[in-house]
Amino acid sequence: MTCTQYREWIDELVDGTIVPIRRAELERHLALCSACRGLAADLQTIRDTAASLDPLEPPAGAWLQIAGRLRQQGRVAPPTQADAKPATRHTALLAIAAALVLLVGGSIALIWTDFRGRNTAAPPMAAAPTSPAPAPASNAQTDVAVESVEAEFREAERHYQNAIAKLEQAARLDQAASGGPQAALDPQTAAMLQKNLQVLDQAIAESRSALRAEPQSAAAAGTLFEALRRKVALLQDTIALMNEMRKGNAAGAAQIVDGANKS
Amino acid sequence: MSPVASSARAEDMALVERCRRGDLGAFEELYRAHAGRLFSVACRMLGNPADAEDLLQEIFLSAHRKLESFRGESALGTWLYRLATNHCLDYLRSRAARTNQVTDALDDEAGQFEPGGRTLAEQTVTKMDLERALAGLPEGCRAAFVLHDVQGLEHREVAEALGIAEGTSKSQVHKARLRLRTLLRG
Repeated sequence: MTCTQYREWIDELVDGTIVPIRRAELERHLALCSACRGLAADLQTIRDTAASLDPLEPPAGAWLQIAGRLRQQGRVAPPTQADAKPATRHTALLAIAAALVLLVGGSIALIWTDFRGRNTAAPPMAAAPTSPAPAPASNAQTDVAVESVEAEFREAERHYQNAIAKLEQAARLDQAASGGPQAALDPQTAAMLQKNLQVLDQAIAESRSALRAEPQSAAAAGTLFEALRRKVALLQDTIALMNEMRKGNAAGAAQIVDGANKS
Repeated sequence: MSPVASSARAEDMALVERCRRGDLGAFEELYRAHAGRLFSVACRMLGNPADAEDLLQEIFLSAHRKLESFRGESALGTWLYRLATNHCLDYLRSRAARTNQVTDALDDEAGQFEPGGRTLAEQTVTKMDLERALAGLPEGCRAAFVLHDVQGLEHREVAEALGIAEGTSKSQVHKARLRLRTLLRG
């Protein structure tokens, strides 16, 4: 047999699926052939390192977005009588707020995707605000893209503000209806969420000013998108938190608060 | 089919049936059981967590629509892998078309037997090195490699997930390993 013919056996050796008779013959060949021995060692290293790669966890808000879109599409059954809580009005408002926030989150993601599609030089969403702006491929094309994105932004923001108002209203009603801390946000958590929202509002205002001063700056647009995305994520966390507290799941609520504190 | 596999298949079908009736709790159960694995595959195939997050939503929305046609002929996990890898491959093709990228041709024999130089076993190959090198693989063999060597699927399952022959899965994984070897020895 030639080295090329031993190739398949080397893969089987690395995978641990080689039958004993082949293994014995391959080992005899490897003892004599340094090239095949090197290949086998390298493939084993690659296989072992690949198997040790850590699993990646999807972001905490991903399920909420999927659930929200399924509800919007009417693909899931409404809650049964047995699931319904006595305070149905604020629950319904919370669901509306969640749907609106999810809708706006989706809009922002779409706008961002569109922007990236039109201006491939734009930095990724996670880019730091201080990243230098890459030169646009075509100024005229970028002007159109920025104008279009700004128009879509304005529309998305209108819904966004509406969602925030509904969410705040839902939170107020929730607190009033439950009369206890279990179903409502405690003052410390509410203050933390409020503070984070203020910081994000400030970032949104500043990046919007920067974009107004430099409408063609991909870095400024990227920062604005990132701030909006973070605000949507924070609102999603707030909804998730209220749901966990309503269910009396203190551990789940603590995990969300911890995540919101880190973001 | 072994009794264990048969029982797992029956559990899959029961869960799918609840999802079909519009039970959001059942679909959340399905999501919690499979989202981590599918997100890992999407991240490694697309090389970008933000894109993978967007795609994860599309994968599960599409799964919810297509559960009607799930007959339990394969395990639910394998069926979901197939759905996810199809979404990833479509996305990569569309991204390549948008940016006029040309898919790499794969030189099967490149770097296979050249003598000399340190072997990978003699140098330190970190997980990060491998994650970076993965991005340099052509799409088809990257998918097979991620499913087989990273996720631990057998070639039979990889073949089922990717809709290819088992022999093709073996050949794609082998090509991926050779290309990674070349990239890692840099």
